[in-house]
Amino acid sequence: MSQWEPKIVAFMCSWSSYPGADYAGLSRLAYPPNIRIIKVPCAGRINPKFILSALRQGADGVWISACHPGDCHYMEGNLYASRKFALMKNFLEHTGIEPGRVHFSWVSATEGHKFAQTAKEVVDSVKALGPARHMIKKEAEVA
Amino acid sequence: MQGYTQRIREAAKRLLAEKKVDVVMGFRKGTIPFMNEPFLAKSPEQVDQLLWDGNCGINLANYLSGRKDRIGIVAKGCDSRNIVVHLLEYQIKREQLYILGAPCHGMIDGRRITEELAGKEPLQVEEENGRIRVSGKGFEESFDRKQYLQENCAICMHRNPVVYDELVGDLVEEQRDVDRYADVREVEGLSPEAKWKYFEDLIAPCIRCYACRNACPVCYCPTCFVDESRPQWVGKTVDPTDTRTFHFLRAYHVAGRCTDCGACERACPVGIKMRQFTKKLEKDIKEMYGYEAGVDPESRPPLDTYRPDDPRDFAK
Amino acid sequence: MSEIYIAKDKFPSVLGQLMGKCPVFGPVLQGKFHEFGRLERPEDVDLGYGNTRLSPKALFHPQAEKMFDFSLSKGDPEAGILKETPKDFRPRVILGIRPCDARAFQLDDRNFDTDSVRDPWWVRRRETTTLVGLACNTPGSTCFCTSVGTGPFDKTGLDVLMVDVGEGYLFQASTKKGEEFLAGLSAGEAVSGSVAEKADALKKGAEGSMGTQFSVDAIVQNPTLDLFNAAFWDEVQFSCINCGTCTFVCPTCWCFDIQDEVYQEKGSRIRLWDSCMFPLFTFHGSGHNPRSQKLQRVRQRFMHKLKYYPEKYKGGVACVGCGRCVRQCPVNIDIRHVARLMSASCVCPT
Repeated sequence: MSQWEPKIVAFMCSWSSYPGADYAGLSRLAYPPNIRIIKVPCAGRINPKFILSALRQGADGVWISACHPGDCHYMEGNLYASRKFALMKNFLEHTGIEPGRVHFSWVSATEGHKFAQTAKEVVDSVKALGPARHMIKKEAEVA
Repeated sequence: MQGYTQRIREAAKRLLAEKKVDVVMGFRKGTIPFMNEPFLAKSPEQVDQLLWDGNCGINLANYLSGRKDRIGIVAKGCDSRNIVVHLLEYQIKREQLYILGAPCHGMIDGRRITEELAGKEPLQVEEENGRIRVSGKGFEESFDRKQYLQENCAICMHRNPVVYDELVGDLVEEQRDVDRYADVREVEGLSPEAKWKYFEDLIAPCIRCYACRNACPVCYCPTCFVDESRPQWVGKTVDPTDTRTFHFLRAYHVAGRCTDCGACERACPVGIKMRQFTKKLEKDIKEMYGYEAGVDPESRPPLDTYRPDDPRDFAK
Repeated sequence: MSEIYIAKDKFPSVLGQLMGKCPVFGPVLQGKFHEFGRLERPEDVDLGYGNTRLSPKALFHPQAEKMFDFSLSKGDPEAGILKETPKDFRPRVILGIRPCDARAFQLDDRNFDTDSVRDPWWVRRRETTTLVGLACNTPGSTCFCTSVGTGPFDKTGLDVLMVDVGEGYLFQASTKKGEEFLAGLSAGEAVSGSVAEKADALKKGAEGSMGTQFSVDAIVQNPTLDLFNAAFWDEVQFSCINCGTCTFVCPTCWCFDIQDEVYQEKGSRIRLWDSCMFPLFTFHGSGHNPRSQKLQRVRQRFMHKLKYYPEKYKGGVACVGCGRCVRQCPVNIDIRHVARLMSASCVCPT
């Protein structure tokens, strides 16, 4: 039987972390292929519903990556995002999602190395937890 | 609290007669014990239906969203805080409102008293000198009012209205040494599996009637996420994952806006303690951002602002 | 019709034998409230209850029920074909149901089982279920069954009526199904004169304690448009928060929605309760909503129960007076008060 590999949904800011992933590729840096990137115009665009939606559809982990504080293309979207994420992460963990499934990082467009390094950390952390057990909607459990 | 009723009626009569307001929002006597009905007095003749007692637990700010007329509103501490939230979120204008502040002694938890009666049906409820006298066919029992407050009222730290134009009673002493988060800390100490189980059991009886959402004064979205269909974020059946998604997102959506008025728990027909969700968010917001909802009409809600020194140790 | 008496000390073993023959459902204490559930042991049933928190309608019309399953898998030759989800239609007994709730099923039959439309699942469940009701010796303060054409000892919706006469239960069959049920019970004794007298006294006492709270006839005679345009709706609707509590706890609210849920390569067509209190209930694909206002929705609920239904079916109102909506409404909208408003404006022929 093939070894289990986690699926991770990554919401990446189109001005920083998404080009950061490009830069990692251009620089021929290897990082684990478990990540499915969804490009968003700004981390501030990420609605908590997106995170829950990813978990509901069976993602083993979620990773959000934004511009560094002070570098946001829209001045402050990343800072709103960080507040939203902080509450969301605590709340998910308070209600039974294991710590280590949802992640947040600051990665700029030139930080290919940081992108590859963070990707590895995220994947390792989710791998250590094993497949997602909760919040997955497979079919309606009704009469 | 008998005096409140008199003063509410006097003020309402005056405001309507002087045409300072178009309507006065308050409560009238309910048809069953432990229950009063939100009531809108439109003329001085209707004013004598208004009353006040320990069964006015519904949050009247819920009825303000989107109104265009001038409203006199009876507001206890939590109602007034939700009026502030409405003002901050541009749901109502301050000049539309004439707030009759009602310093609150806490609302009665009728369900708990009914449980204590073990099958005997309460028919009459009277409050007097800190006691609640409940009577029915062939029995009369008396309860200590302080011991039978709604859970959120027992730990309330804003019993006095935070905004008002006129008071209908003397200000009360605020509770100081209250541990608001003992229950939250208890859950925080559990393992992830035990936490999951705790909330699973908590919401198991849910019938998805949305009484919690609709009783909530800060739930006024034109289309709620549960009713969105493209994409459909959450299924509409009583499937456990869908029910969990609903409760999780409902609570998150009121983060930084919830005043812990307890309207959700009071409204729930199956007795779900959904404040266990919202209180965690309230605690985190207080600890991380030093914010309390609906207390200060000048400061922006926590998810509508940021500070350079926000805690960000979670970020890589 | 036959009747028997079973002493309370013998009842658990009788119930145990019955449970060996077929699934038995009854009022069970779940947490703080009673609900109808499948009995696992005779002692699970609590016949000292008032009434269940939710109505027993879910036993026939579940809150959410898979109707069909389908596959969307590309290689599957049966992809896209609806297949009926298997259901349990074994004969069963519902024990201890209140006469009002049983009567509600008959009112619902007029919707689910008509000459032109028959809901197969509703009809089969009705056919295979024996309803053994428990008379209400002490009706609650929010009960008003006698005002809406049923009663605490009403047998019309039941196969068997059980009366708690203190030391034991009197069972009175009123249908053929009920006769067969009684014939299958082992420990039945003949009914003595004193038991019959006691049951009769209990019935009179219970009915006498309730009285008539409003006149259904007056509402039925009132012109529909007068009621529709009545001024009182504005006052009635103010406090409503448009939750679905009243409709979900109501034994006669049968409205449902149908949704397809798809997960990757398979899906189900699901039927689930809907509520006329929700704005989405009447929301058209065009974006138009004929009942976009709260007043319209609140009026619809009461008009449907107390005016449209009797007008359409000519057989009483679509309310059995169980009082659940009265007790559970978070803002105290009381159907008894509304019914009085609806009957008051009537100028009845003398």
